Amino acid sequence: MNTPTVTLAFQYFLDDAMSAASSKGMPVVRVVPETIVSESTVVEDIEAAITGVADDMVDALVRPLTGEEQSPKPREPEEYPRIVFKGTLEEVNRFFYRRGWTDGLPIIPPTEEAVAEMLTGTDLPADHLVAELEPRLGKATVEKIAIIGAMAGALPTYMPLLIAGVEALAANPVLGMMAVSTGSFSPFWLINGPIAKDVHINASFGAMSPGNIANAAIGRALGLITKNIRGVRKQIEDMGVLGNPGKYTMVVAENEAFNPWKPFHVEQGFHKEDSTITLTFPQSFQQMVPFGTDDQGILGTVVSSVTPARMGLFGLVLTPANAKTLASKGWTKKTIIDYIIENAIVPMEQIKRFGPGVGGSIFRDVSNDTSDSFHIFQRTERYPEPVQIYVFGGFGSWLGFLQGGPQPVVRKAELPANWEQLVNKYKNIVPSYVRY
Amino acid sequence: MSSEKAGTSYEVLSPWAEADPKPLKGLAPRVTDLAGKKIGLLANNKRAAPLILDVAERILKERFPAIETSWFKANSFSVSSLESDRLSKFEDWVNGVDAVVAAVGD
Repeated sequence: MNTPTVTLAFQYFLDDAMSAASSKGMPVVRVVPETIVSESTVVEDIEAAITGVADDMVDALVRPLTGEEQSPKPREPEEYPRIVFKGTLEEVNRFFYRRGWTDGLPIIPPTEEAVAEMLTGTDLPADHLVAELEPRLGKATVEKIAIIGAMAGALPTYMPLLIAGVEALAANPVLGMMAVSTGSFSPFWLINGPIAKDVHINASFGAMSPGNIANAAIGRALGLITKNIRGVRKQIEDMGVLGNPGKYTMVVAENEAFNPWKPFHVEQGFHKEDSTITLTFPQSFQQMVPFGTDDQGILGTVVSSVTPARMGLFGLVLTPANAKTLASKGWTKKTIIDYIIENAIVPMEQIKRFGPGVGGSIFRDVSNDTSDSFHIFQRTERYPEPVQIYVFGGFGSWLGFLQGGPQPVVRKAELPANWEQLVNKYKNIVPSYVRY
Repeated sequence: MSSEKAGTSYEVLSPWAEADPKPLKGLAPRVTDLAGKKIGLLANNKRAAPLILDVAERILKERFPAIETSWFKANSFSVSSLESDRLSKFEDWVNGVDAVVAAVGD
């Protein structure tokens, strides 16, 4: 746009603002830093902060541009050496960490040999461009995905999921914003189809816990892709306030063997024999003990435990036992979802009393709403299906809530021609625990 | 790792992705004075944004009584993710004002 603009931004977001502008080709912008904490609704603070920067705001609109502001000079072109370092395991780790390329945990050195092995997991050529990922528009080539996969400790059999995961990240610009949000949204990856068993992705007891290489390394690799290809670094572009341990990894397979309904990917239009990866970005993972383990106890717990101070998608995690109970009583996923949307309510008076128009749902103005109840979930254009159901975990009664994020994106993993041979090569890489 | 110090050396590939240089854009020329101008107030959908711009609007009108203001409230966190019909309305709006004060609520 060719209209002079000044942006008012919280002082801790200047790097973020500059990265955002630079990624759009504007390395120099006029941003006035202010002291309003993000999401603030404290009018006294806002009044004082904007009054304090009013002169700067006006000045930014009338002060003539400098030469650099009129015609920014190109920076020195960034160099991209393919071989970036040589050293011992410890030296490689220190080098990568200091460059900001890791998640803080040690990495496996991505040598030519390690990357070549990773590349056996796909029939795509190494230089194939899968996507350019926002905000930096870094090129996610197959080789770059393999390098990061090797770093993360992934096996070559994970390559189809890593590539499909990159496609999912590129599918929706809203997903790009999730990774940088103050809300610390974390990617949640659900795997469906035969690949889950082929590569031993845990769908049962402790599916969300550490201990399985596939669950650990696939999420870790996609997190490092977010850092090194998308260019989303903590406190520069990723402005998550509290942070989220799910950003290390949050990968599970759906427990299809004990899911009484259609698998998630089949509901989304894929074939049962397809292998898929589903992406959404919840803020939190909560676990609830149900009031009772019959259908009324399970669903009563859900609608009583969802609070209005939330946003985005609600992913209900049902264990196989809970899913079986509900299905045996005639519940389908659709009737469960309808029930939750209809019954997850709080008194409208409460919402209006504690924050008209903003208190309960930041996107919904209820000031003219005369109904008695505030429905926490509504089907909207942005959230046509605000409640999703996933079946995973061991045989138990705990309920899982994956709170927040956009509608899920599902992508099919394309397997290489020699898939069976590849699976056989790595199938014995499983933990074998000693009894004591 | 101590045994590695004496032994194996690893030649490693870079995980940092290439990115095409972006065509650079300069800033729009400034206005010489705000008096009598039409000032756009651009808020994203973060709840602090309109509260910030309420104050900015009042201050601007106090200092420059003859200015006119016009609001655009985006229904997303960033203008670049506006749906196409809203993007078209945004472009019409921004071309119809002399200067913009934007607040992103962060």
